[in-house]
Amino acid sequence: MSPAPPRFAPPADRIPTSTGTYPAAVEPPPAAAAPLGATGGRFIGRSRLALGAGYWLAWLAFSRRSSVSSGVQREIQALGLGALRLVLGASVLVGLIATFQLAYQLKQFGAEPMSAKAIGWFGAREFGPLVTALLVVARSASAIAGEFASMSANAELDALRAMGLDPVKYLVAPKLGALLLSLPALTILADALIAVGGYVGMTAFLGYSSGVFVEQFQSALAVRDIVIGLGKSVIFAVTIAIVAADQGLNVERNVAAIGGAATRAVVYCLIGVLGADTLVNAVFYFIPGLV
Amino acid sequence: MSEPRAVPASDHGPALAVSHLTGPVGEPLIHDVNLAVERGRTHLVLGPIHSGKSLLMRHIVGLECAESGTITVDGHTYRATGEPAPVLRQMRTRIGVVFEGSALLTRLSVLENVELPLLEHTSATATEARRAARELLAEVGVLGDEDREPLQLGRLERRRVALARAIALRPPVVLLDEPTHGLDSHSAHELDETVARLQDSEGFALLIFSHEVRHAYGRAEQISVMDEGAIVAQGPRETLLESEHPVIRRLLKRRERERLG
Repeated sequence: MSPAPPRFAPPADRIPTSTGTYPAAVEPPPAAAAPLGATGGRFIGRSRLALGAGYWLAWLAFSRRSSVSSGVQREIQALGLGALRLVLGASVLVGLIATFQLAYQLKQFGAEPMSAKAIGWFGAREFGPLVTALLVVARSASAIAGEFASMSANAELDALRAMGLDPVKYLVAPKLGALLLSLPALTILADALIAVGGYVGMTAFLGYSSGVFVEQFQSALAVRDIVIGLGKSVIFAVTIAIVAADQGLNVERNVAAIGGAATRAVVYCLIGVLGADTLVNAVFYFIPGLV
Repeated sequence: MSEPRAVPASDHGPALAVSHLTGPVGEPLIHDVNLAVERGRTHLVLGPIHSGKSLLMRHIVGLECAESGTITVDGHTYRATGEPAPVLRQMRTRIGVVFEGSALLTRLSVLENVELPLLEHTSATATEARRAARELLAEVGVLGDEDREPLQLGRLERRRVALARAIALRPPVVLLDEPTHGLDSHSAHELDETVARLQDSEGFALLIFSHEVRHAYGRAEQISVMDEGAIVAQGPRETLLESEHPVIRRLLKRRERERLG
């Protein structure tokens, strides 16, 4: 066979394709260039993963032509909209449960209506973000880790790297972006539905009037509670995305590793979310000016 | 084993040259590998399963960190011991890879798989990338399946799509890992023909990693026989197939048994 004429000698800045020769896409050097979690233990590995994903997310926000942006939409659909019914239903139940439990405890002091006030105190600040995060962990942490571990076993991650694509940019950043948008939005809805659950509990089951509930609830709820709750949901979003992705990306390249990665992702995400929540609450408790 | 060839790192050298590659770092499983492939030529790395072929391929693409050695692609020399991410990224645009089992991204459609490198590495618009991807799929003979998911395709079609993705950036070097493994003989023959047609039109250097001796009777002009992580014999196909080297005899005997069986 006589070799075809050498039509390849692409300069570094131009790439020939079947529809013409295009300038190579300009892309800044990645923040996390070395292999994930290569040195310094898991914490450093996760920190670098978080930095890399945040970096690519910021890059994505100013880029108009990346296939990653369509990935964010896809992930919002899967991680956010997919959890909508679960979060809404569970939030109403949490509102009801909290009302019954608080009313039962406060009854002995003759202060049953105060349970509406407590819903106002805790709903937006604690129950909303925490319940939403735990439900998203239950639903999505194993899915994220399982998906990445499965991609690793099928050499899809290697294929991405071999194409010169960074899995952190292409896979982790869209999930982080989707959770950063979805979790606060779900938290707002959860806050509202917890209040609805409390309202139903107070009026339909405990026999108080709507006026009593609204008066007590309004006197307790402040805008800063909602803001603090949203701040927590952002922290939870980062925790879930990074811990689950880390578990999925750092596994052996075999099918047997998928189940283990999914299980560990759920456990570590739960610990991460609860740990972060404890830390935030401690900060607010010990620094009173912040409350 | 033949003498290791010195590999010049110039624009006029081979499209791909592997020089004194030993790795991975810390626990080397492949030792002092040297090979080169000219443009438009085919080189077969033949060896039993677990002889280190796939690991060698991973080193060439920079997926593993070597203890020593260099990889020269189209006149550009890279350290196999590690390069910064931007350098690796640039190198990988010059090498098309088809992994064993195709390794298509299962969450994307067939068309999205092929347009991905175009969107990520060139400034082609989405429309241009889509058009180019359709043309590539037509070139490899996958028509009408653009919007399907990879898992909905048969093995042969998946390999074809992976081939289209591998040549999307018109790389000077294409690597195929066990390209016909798991295919029936008819499908394997079809894939061979498609690869040959693309190589004739594109002129890329082709490096095939396989345990199947049938490739030695195909287009490969040069063969490297690999065993236990080292190249134990290397040379032109005609010479190699006549060799009395025990690994080659064993591989040929197995092929004979398979044919009779």
